[in-house]
Amino acid sequence: MSRLVLTDVSRRFGAVTAVDRFSLILTPGEFVSLLGPSGCGKTTTLRMIAGFLAPSEGTIAMDGRVVSSPGSSLPPEKRNMSMIFQSYAIWPNMTVAENVAFGLEVRRRPKAEIRERVGRILEVVQMGHLASRYPQELSGGQQQRVALARAIVVQPAVLLLDEPLSNLDANLREEMRYEIRRLHDEFHITTVYVTHDQAEAMVASDRIAVMNQGRVEQVDAPRALYARPRTRFVAGFIGRTNLLDGESRGDDVVFDGFTIPRRAFPEPAAIEGRVGFSLRPQSIVLHRQPPPSTRAAVVPGRLVQRAYLGEHWDYTVRPAGTRLALRVTTRPHEVFEVDEKVWLELDPSQMAALQPE
Amino acid sequence: MTLSHRSLPAALAILIALALATAGPVLAFDGEAALHEAAKKEKEFTWYTAHYNSETAAALCQGFEKKYPGVKCNYIRTTAQVAYQRLAQDQKAGIAQASVISSTDQSHYTRMKKDGWLQPYKPKNLPELVDAFRAFNDPDDQFVATAAGLVLITYNTSVVSATEAPKKWMDLTDPKWKGKVSIGHPGFSGYVGTWVVEMKKLYGWDFFKKLEQNKPRIGRSINDTVTMLNAKESIVAAGPAATTLESKAKGNPLAVVYPEDGAILMVSASGIVKNAPAPNAARLFIEYLLSREGNEVMVQQYQDPVNKHVKPMAGARPLTDVKTIRPSATEIEKGIPEVKELFRETFGI
Amino acid sequence: MASDRSLVVWLLLIALLLLLVINPLARLLWASFEHPDTGAFTLENYAAAYGRWRNVEALINSMIVGLSVAVVCTIFGVPMAWAVSRTDMPAKSLVWAAVLGTFIMPNYLGAVAWILMAGPNAGWLNRIYSALTGASAGPFNVYSMTGLVLVISCYSFPYMFVFTRSALELISSEMEDAASTLGAGALRTTLRVTLPLALPAIMGAFIVVFLEAIALFGSPALIALPARFQVMTTTLWQMFEFPPRVQVAAAYAMPLLLITVFLFWLQYRIIARKGFVALTGKGGERRLMHLGPWRWVMLGYCLLITSLSFFMPMAVILQAAFARAWGRGFSWDNVTLRNLRFVLFDQTATRMATLNTFVYAAAASLIALGLALAIAYIVARRLVPFGRVLTYVAMAPFVIPGIVLAIGFYAAYTAKPLVLYGTAWILILAFATRFLPIAYTNSDAALRSINPELEDAARILGGSRLLALRRVVAPLLQRGLAGAFILVFIPATRELSSAIFLYTTGTQVLSVLLFDKSDEGNFELLSSMGLILVAVTVAMVLLGFRLIGRDFLLRRTAT
Repeated sequence: MSRLVLTDVSRRFGAVTAVDRFSLILTPGEFVSLLGPSGCGKTTTLRMIAGFLAPSEGTIAMDGRVVSSPGSSLPPEKRNMSMIFQSYAIWPNMTVAENVAFGLEVRRRPKAEIRERVGRILEVVQMGHLASRYPQELSGGQQQRVALARAIVVQPAVLLLDEPLSNLDANLREEMRYEIRRLHDEFHITTVYVTHDQAEAMVASDRIAVMNQGRVEQVDAPRALYARPRTRFVAGFIGRTNLLDGESRGDDVVFDGFTIPRRAFPEPAAIEGRVGFSLRPQSIVLHRQPPPSTRAAVVPGRLVQRAYLGEHWDYTVRPAGTRLALRVTTRPHEVFEVDEKVWLELDPSQMAALQPE
Repeated sequence: MTLSHRSLPAALAILIALALATAGPVLAFDGEAALHEAAKKEKEFTWYTAHYNSETAAALCQGFEKKYPGVKCNYIRTTAQVAYQRLAQDQKAGIAQASVISSTDQSHYTRMKKDGWLQPYKPKNLPELVDAFRAFNDPDDQFVATAAGLVLITYNTSVVSATEAPKKWMDLTDPKWKGKVSIGHPGFSGYVGTWVVEMKKLYGWDFFKKLEQNKPRIGRSINDTVTMLNAKESIVAAGPAATTLESKAKGNPLAVVYPEDGAILMVSASGIVKNAPAPNAARLFIEYLLSREGNEVMVQQYQDPVNKHVKPMAGARPLTDVKTIRPSATEIEKGIPEVKELFRETFGI
Repeated sequence: MASDRSLVVWLLLIALLLLLVINPLARLLWASFEHPDTGAFTLENYAAAYGRWRNVEALINSMIVGLSVAVVCTIFGVPMAWAVSRTDMPAKSLVWAAVLGTFIMPNYLGAVAWILMAGPNAGWLNRIYSALTGASAGPFNVYSMTGLVLVISCYSFPYMFVFTRSALELISSEMEDAASTLGAGALRTTLRVTLPLALPAIMGAFIVVFLEAIALFGSPALIALPARFQVMTTTLWQMFEFPPRVQVAAAYAMPLLLITVFLFWLQYRIIARKGFVALTGKGGERRLMHLGPWRWVMLGYCLLITSLSFFMPMAVILQAAFARAWGRGFSWDNVTLRNLRFVLFDQTATRMATLNTFVYAAAASLIALGLALAIAYIVARRLVPFGRVLTYVAMAPFVIPGIVLAIGFYAAYTAKPLVLYGTAWILILAFATRFLPIAYTNSDAALRSINPELEDAARILGGSRLLALRRVVAPLLQRGLAGAFILVFIPATRELSSAIFLYTTGTQVLSVLLFDKSDEGNFELLSSMGLILVAVTVAMVLLGFRLIGRDFLLRRTAT
């Protein structure tokens, strides 16, 4: 378990800034995901942590010792980290057991110890019976497990994963998500996990750092990230959401077509001038009659579109007198017709105020 | 007639004399054994030669090794120009490779002597050399004639009959041989250079201007003419007696004509390189080239011997019987560079 | 980032590269401006080299030969490649084997065989023609510009074949299908769709063939001289006559260098538009086009060309090698093993030359490949800044004709401090330098086929770069490298133009021996030696097939 600290790490390639002042402190044993669309800088950051790239600015320190800085960068082989690559990078000229044993051989462990540890880790990842196979004979999921075993058996200070599940099919991905988290919990290794898939990040992580165009937008635990996104980007990237613009006028916050009193919001003082809000589709309740409202805002509207997805309904509602199209998710038995007049119950306590751009 | 005790000693004497006379040339020269010992210490030597062809060179080396065991003979056979080039590159690089150099181009020796690449040695076997050839030896003993050959008219017998064949050099310019005559190039071959010089001496440069009208096939070496004749690309040529007759002996349809106006006699010299790695072996080899054994080997290879006691091969006429002509050493020295230029201008190459 | 100790290793290798490539070139450039006696700066050499019309004419002749050969090779090679790669022509293995045989045969041996076949007075082809038509002489004359172009083309078209074929392999049939659904017939599709897609490869090969043709020494020496014209390489050869004028030769060679640099640049510009091939993609299968009765016509065409380049010359060589007197032609009483016996057992020069040939070729191949791999690695992994410059340096010998390189080596290594002349090393290093570009292209391609993550995985687990190279990269590259080895080895065994200047007694190789034989009239021995060279090379190639599989020769991708 190691404490990994990134301080204002930046990386430029020519005129392009790939990573812009990334700061993060990982507590020992923590599982942090770097989440974002392609090109956001997450893989570059990971490679800087691994030592394959040096930062243009800023430092990376492990247990108090600076390992990366613009002038010098400790080479990867000296960092006692492990990495799982997108392509798994299992060496085709070695068997499963030889692959897993490699790191231990480099560390000059005695042969008996290597054999024992390799055997054990292969059992942990349920690959013991395939120890003498070659990678070409394995499926994607099996190769994935070999990569995990190889990375974990050396007891690294930090474990790095670079989109390890993107080459697997949906079912396998789900299974491996849990597997990775399970291994993390069993071995308590500080882990940095790079992905563009928010479901993966949500399932496995203690915290998620959402990145966009080289910058960190928000670092939070999954629930907080979902319920309290701080920027438009994060709100839109994690799950689906409705983005509403409101303006503070006196005691009210005025939206397009409706008004909500300021005191109904959890942090009324923070709402100044024009503020954007994120409201999850699940947070809106649809009624056929105007419900009795206490703290919630009630807005009449017309149902414009609907889609039945089995586990839930996906409705689009236009509040009266507005150009808005609000997405609403309801349970399957709550059926409404298109063009039906409905009432939307909005809960201000679930409306997250977004930072100005 | 009974053998009386008085005629016996006479008979014995005659027998011994006969035996001695037919026993073969086992004559040692003064100091041979010592030179052989010294050469054995050097173990081997390298010989750059443009004389003869590869098989003759190989045969001479083998003959030498048989006569003088313990001394290995390595030969590199090329055209004269290449042999000189090799030596020049060695000298420039300060490398001692060759011990003996045998070029067919007289002007090379003048230059080599001037540049100080040769060392003097007066062979003990010098008296064995055909007297007429002594004129080609260096007065300072830096090179000595070791090979002789004839350039004469050659033709392919399957296409040309003996009566049709050219009889003198001028006949080569006869239009009936247009496109069918082959010669070498003086820029590459010493033999050809000498021949060109002599032709110019005899008939002036007009000879070649006329020859050009016959569009001759020009190869690099004088031996190329043999290839051309065998291929029937050309059917008459100005070629070397030795290689042609050798090819004929193999069964090829070739023949030689000793021109009425004279066959060109080539006398080629050999010299010992100044920084020779094996100077004693080199000296021994020069002796061998002048010796009877050496010349016997040459004769077997259809080369003309330079040793006055050795008879030429069957089918070839001895040099003393044939009309030969030859430019002098000075004429060759000055002439070859000059004719190379003229040749290039006339023949374009 | 190379902040570890292996940096020293990389720098040493870069130094070796510079020594092999830059040093001879620099010496050559220097020599061209050096007065032969005083060593002072002078332009005299250029004046001497280009002041004579004869020399300028030789340059023009070289250009004509080069251009003509490139055109003829295109005519030979492109249809053959197309037939083998995209149609249902029968007997493809035979054609492929014949192309391989052509590649193995040295061009000067082919030239000798062609002299026998197409000599104006007595060539076999002419004799057959006369016999058939009753004419007094046949129309074929090998001793002409046309003859030289044809002979060189015969031995250069394999490059065009291989390049074109590689490109055609990548084109998906969907491209052709799109044309045919729009109504285009097979011929139109081929001409308007398929071949244009392979155009960059064809143009690349065109330039390669041009450069090869103007740099050849063997065939021109045998054919051009009797044909009464000179080319640059034969002129350079004569400049080494007595007395040798290295400085003038260097000056004369410079423009050759410039022309080839220009063409190399042109090639790079054309091939750099890789979008062509990428667009055609690897998706979609390749179906063979049905030619109907035309496939026999195509086969006939292919066999005609390979007869000219391989079958007929081989027949000629075989006849002469086993003949008592080749002038007598073929007859049973003219057959003997005597020549082979002499060449193999009696003539020590042959044995030594054979040994030298294959030892030097192997050593040169290993050095070239090792260096190329290291440089390709340094460039691909960006271990030093300005890595691209290293690529240019590694590819530079490609634009230097063999004979010019040899003169450069001669100038660089016959004077102190580093005197290599007279040793085997000057030959080995000259060969290694000459074939470095081929080794580099193949090493680069092989390296790029390996995912860098495989190395990163080894490094993150604690292995140094060198360990990763040894345990991960090298085993994975084996196949590709073995193929590259053979692609360097074969040309090295028959290399003449650089060997002819650099050999000495102990370091003679077969190509030089063969060449020296050619002016002796002993065609029987010459053919025997040629036969040995070809036979041993074929054995090596077959060995290569066993080790690597049939496709190894296709590793020649465009730069």
